[in-house]
Amino acid sequence: MQVVKKTPFEPGRRDFRLPFDLNGMTLVLWGTAALVAVALLLPVVYLTVRALGAGSEAWQGLFRFRTLETLARTVWLAVVVTGASAAIAVPLAWLTTRTDLPLRRLWAVLTPLPLVIPSYVGAYLFVSAFGPRGLLQQILEPVFGVTRLPEIYGFPGALLALTLLSYPYLLLTVRAALSKMDPAFEEASRSLGQDAWGTFWRVTMPLLRPALGAGCLLTALYVLRDFGVVAIMRYNTFTRVIYVSYTTFDRSQAALLALVLVAITLFFLALEARVMSQARHFQAAAGPVRPTTLVALGPWKWPALAFCGTVVFTSLVLPAGLLFYWLVRGLGAGETIPRLELAVWNSVLASGLGAIAIVLAALPMAILVVRRPGRITRLLERLTYSTFALPGIVIALALVFFGANHVPQLYQTLPMLLLAYGILFLPQAVGAVRASLLQIHPNLEEAARSLGRSPLQAFFGVTFPLLRPGLAAGASLAFLTIMKELPATLILAPIGFKTLATGVWAAVSEAFFAQAAAPALLIILMSSLPMTFFILNEQRID
Amino acid sequence: MKFNLRVFLLTCMVFSVLVLTACGSAATPVPTDVPTDVPVESPTEAPAEEATATSAPTEPVTDGDAPADGGALVVYSGRSEALVGPIIAQFSEATGIQVEVRYGSTAEIAATLLEEGANSPADVFFAQDPGGLGAVAKEGLFAELPEETLAKVPAEFRSPSGLWVGISARARIVVYNTDALKPEDLPADIADFTDPKWKGKIGWAPTNGSFQAMLTAMRVVWGEEKAKEWLEGIQANEPKVFDGNAPIVEAVGAGEIEVGFVNHYYLYRFLKEQGEGFKARNQFLTGGGPGSLVMVAGAGRLANGKNEANAIKFIDFMLSTVAQQYFAGQTYEYPLVEGVNTQGGLTPLAELKRLEIDMVDLDDLAGTTKLLQETGVLP
Amino acid sequence: MDSIAVQCCNLSKNYHDTRAVSDVSLSVAKGEILALLGPSGCGKTTTLRLIAGFEKPDSGQIEVAGKPIAGPGLFVSPERRGVGMVFQDYAIFPHLTVFQNVAYGLKGQSPAQMRDNVLMMLKLVGIERFQGRYPHELSGGERQRVALARALAPHPVLLLMDEPFSSLDADLRVQVREQVRGILKSTQATAIFVTHDQEEALYMGDRLAIFRKGRLEQAGRPEEVFHAPATRFVAEFMGGTDFLTGQVTDDGILTELGLLPQKVGLPTGADVEIALRADDVGFEPQAQGKAMVLERMFRGAYNVYRLRLPSGRLVHTLQPHVRLFKPGTRARVYVSAGHDLAVFHDGRAVSPPQPSHIR
Repeated sequence: MQVVKKTPFEPGRRDFRLPFDLNGMTLVLWGTAALVAVALLLPVVYLTVRALGAGSEAWQGLFRFRTLETLARTVWLAVVVTGASAAIAVPLAWLTTRTDLPLRRLWAVLTPLPLVIPSYVGAYLFVSAFGPRGLLQQILEPVFGVTRLPEIYGFPGALLALTLLSYPYLLLTVRAALSKMDPAFEEASRSLGQDAWGTFWRVTMPLLRPALGAGCLLTALYVLRDFGVVAIMRYNTFTRVIYVSYTTFDRSQAALLALVLVAITLFFLALEARVMSQARHFQAAAGPVRPTTLVALGPWKWPALAFCGTVVFTSLVLPAGLLFYWLVRGLGAGETIPRLELAVWNSVLASGLGAIAIVLAALPMAILVVRRPGRITRLLERLTYSTFALPGIVIALALVFFGANHVPQLYQTLPMLLLAYGILFLPQAVGAVRASLLQIHPNLEEAARSLGRSPLQAFFGVTFPLLRPGLAAGASLAFLTIMKELPATLILAPIGFKTLATGVWAAVSEAFFAQAAAPALLIILMSSLPMTFFILNEQRID
Repeated sequence: MKFNLRVFLLTCMVFSVLVLTACGSAATPVPTDVPTDVPVESPTEAPAEEATATSAPTEPVTDGDAPADGGALVVYSGRSEALVGPIIAQFSEATGIQVEVRYGSTAEIAATLLEEGANSPADVFFAQDPGGLGAVAKEGLFAELPEETLAKVPAEFRSPSGLWVGISARARIVVYNTDALKPEDLPADIADFTDPKWKGKIGWAPTNGSFQAMLTAMRVVWGEEKAKEWLEGIQANEPKVFDGNAPIVEAVGAGEIEVGFVNHYYLYRFLKEQGEGFKARNQFLTGGGPGSLVMVAGAGRLANGKNEANAIKFIDFMLSTVAQQYFAGQTYEYPLVEGVNTQGGLTPLAELKRLEIDMVDLDDLAGTTKLLQETGVLP
Repeated sequence: MDSIAVQCCNLSKNYHDTRAVSDVSLSVAKGEILALLGPSGCGKTTTLRLIAGFEKPDSGQIEVAGKPIAGPGLFVSPERRGVGMVFQDYAIFPHLTVFQNVAYGLKGQSPAQMRDNVLMMLKLVGIERFQGRYPHELSGGERQRVALARALAPHPVLLLMDEPFSSLDADLRVQVREQVRGILKSTQATAIFVTHDQEEALYMGDRLAIFRKGRLEQAGRPEEVFHAPATRFVAEFMGGTDFLTGQVTDDGILTELGLLPQKVGLPTGADVEIALRADDVGFEPQAQGKAMVLERMFRGAYNVYRLRLPSGRLVHTLQPHVRLFKPGTRARVYVSAGHDLAVFHDGRAVSPPQPSHIR
């Protein structure tokens, strides 16, 4: 079906139209977008102000060989982690949506779950399990006499932890794209003589490019931003350099370095734009899609099962199990856990409100990007991503700067914390809503308009109900990401506002592990709730 | 079928959440074990390294909403809640003043204070090390403390301009494995550890604040060149790198390394948990060089705070006998106020041959970091 | 036999307790176009997909070009069947150009050969000037032609088409199907295509196969199916049919339009239904006539009148354009077929002698 791109103004047409329709819908869309843009610009403005105050030493520091080397290592880590995540996520997505893998539904639910594990907890647990004198070594020692495993610290550990904890996001994106892909493409390929394997590479993968592109971008940026894992794994990335600057109270240098991260982000965005320019036309079939013929795995199902099992075990069962073990061991040794009801309530409150706010902000952005493509919206989209590589402490300090000095009434209140969450996690939500919106044909709204509804009415009456699954998905994602968040919460939350994440940090920084295990397990459990419902819903639609 | 699955999962999860939440108690935690080889670094910065506290039950100090005497006192603390929470609670009880505490790492808290500037809601900054205090003082954010407060501690443990005051002290020591070494085997000066005979036997934590303070002292006392040589010399001996002090002590006790450069109080925590059989002991280097540094944790009053009187009361309380005894008995630190004894077999401060340096000279952290980066010890 | 391209025997396929395809047997000769026709959900698409290899039959056998490709213990995967397919939404690969799309199924050829083959195919369907374009730059009709070229390029033994014209605008549809039929015939392709549009089937198909609820109701040439429907359903589905009830008597069939002098092999008194087409019926205005003209539908060269019979049944009749009557006119309606009509008992056609005009 041909979707003719609409241009707002076509030269040569007899009637002159404004480039936009002045109505309630437009005002809402552009108004919200403007507000969101202002919010997103705050960190960049703050960084620029601070960077301007940097002396020549700071600039010299920037161009030191060591700094550049760290930059290279960071980008390298991002690239390798993204590649590894794709190498795990794409086969998992394919196996759970396109084949007759045994226990498919179970794998479909389990494989994205590692998303609920906070990165600082996960890294810790991996070290505990695989470290030189960790759990694995202790298990192997009596049997194989292994007294010391090779060091997991450094690049291997960072790669392992970051990959296992971020592949789920890519998995969800690719899986959603796969389940909405018109099976006719793959069937056409088969009817033209291409076997299942060839079809996958020549047809399925290219058609997945939009989803992969978006997912890989976010994964790479997330690696750039991460501090928890690389700190624990002692791999020196750019965020560590920034943190070192903060420990020397040199905010100007830190700001300068943070701006470098923004520059890298813009570079990645440009890269992604090139990859995506062709792919913009690969929109999936609008409307219900016939379920695909499943590929029969035959004897390949054993390696496939082994693969799924290994991934789920290492990324989910092992960390959760270890946490549980710590909890039980600590309790058994007489440790007590502090009362957590307040932390639970605060976490749910902050995550819930934050998720709603983020999705509400993401919706207009997504609509603009999908329905009103153009230069301004592309710019807006870039802006949304521009701060995604900045570590939480930078965003938090930006808001401290603006909050304490200009809006003291809002400073250290929940709304400001929610604003921080919004800046931190908006791109994820925009991505989820956008993917959902792409499935809804604009004809539906146009039909409503032709029947006399205003644009706003058409939207709420027709598109919004269809969008609900996508909005729920975006909200679930935001909910669990906020629940894990640490640095901004520590700095910006109202004094005494303890969340489960701050509880984990407080305990871990004193090496009280049973104390850390309880809130960590709670984070995982409570994030798993929306996650599981969301996945089960997705399955039901399939 | 699907309906059942969801209901089942929902029930499981809600049940687990309730169980975990409910099984907490109001008592202060008592840590009894330290898993092997787990780094203690917090996700946000080099950890607040403190000995554990085992004291009177805590009342949560963080839900103050009934203002008293000009509103709640707002304290920004770079020291962890587990350590100073109890003594702050005691302050509240004793004076009836509500206290709201923001906990974080010293670097984060100081950076926040600096960004907030004159608009900071904080009244008191309770810091873990002199670096943070120095940075805030340099920005002119502290107000002078009254003479009586300042006079409680010796001059070298407070800011000469009276902007902040030390509250408790910790000494740099060398922890050594008792199986491998005897006290006589250890040199008197830390510079001697560059000797090749120590190759592969040393553990250090270059990201730790106290280590960096020691290095700053080296730069001040020895000069940049010699400090750099020392760093390079230790590097040549292939030291094991740790994220914090606790793992170093643990590794020494386990025999993985023979010596470690740490603060004194960790040992006591391990001794308490694992008993006298723990195979490590502290050695305070008697040479009086930078390796014999004693550093303070201290506090200052923010000039723009709205609670001047209470802030001063707070600091005075921390310097009172009650609090000083708390620091001595619960966290194994050195009290700074006259008349309070050290505990746990610690040599009293006055008798230690410590490095002669003023705390205020230790605040050039930037230069230290640069040196560490230059020599490749830090990224 | 060499001239049979496809042979299906007793094909059955179930989906979750519904019999989607139930004991279907059909065959297609080489060079023939078979149209699978029926309402939605009748199993025609499933049958097509069974032949293509995207579904596995629960029972039955399929042979293509004499070689079995599906049966008990045998299932040849789609890519090895040599069966081409044009999908309802064309499924043209959006990431490839038109040229690359059409070249997709060509294997084992040198680049020069491939180029020639592709260009020839593009020329055949008339889109060679679009060879460098991407699918999103083409209109619906152009894309349909790309899909056809792509499927035909590897010279498949059999071409399957799943409602190939349903995505097109109505005005385009007629034009395009003429072109497609022309292309198919010129390449002597054997094709099976699925449609729910009777007119399309009648035009495109050399033979038709009518499906209903998973069963094959009738297969035969368009004239056979249209004029000698095997079941009441087929008669009704082919359109333009009115039904009359009647009773068998010794002399013929008694209906409300009079006695039909048709002999059927049924006992006297049996109830039957008779299929009437608009050209089988005539009427005369009559003041005492018990039927009434309801409506006149102008069709240009002729009119179609809708009349109501005393029993309440509606019949239609084709009249020359000069015969004009107003609605409300009373009339006498009569059968003017001049040939035996299709008669059904319990839904199945009963045997009158074959109408001579469809030999």
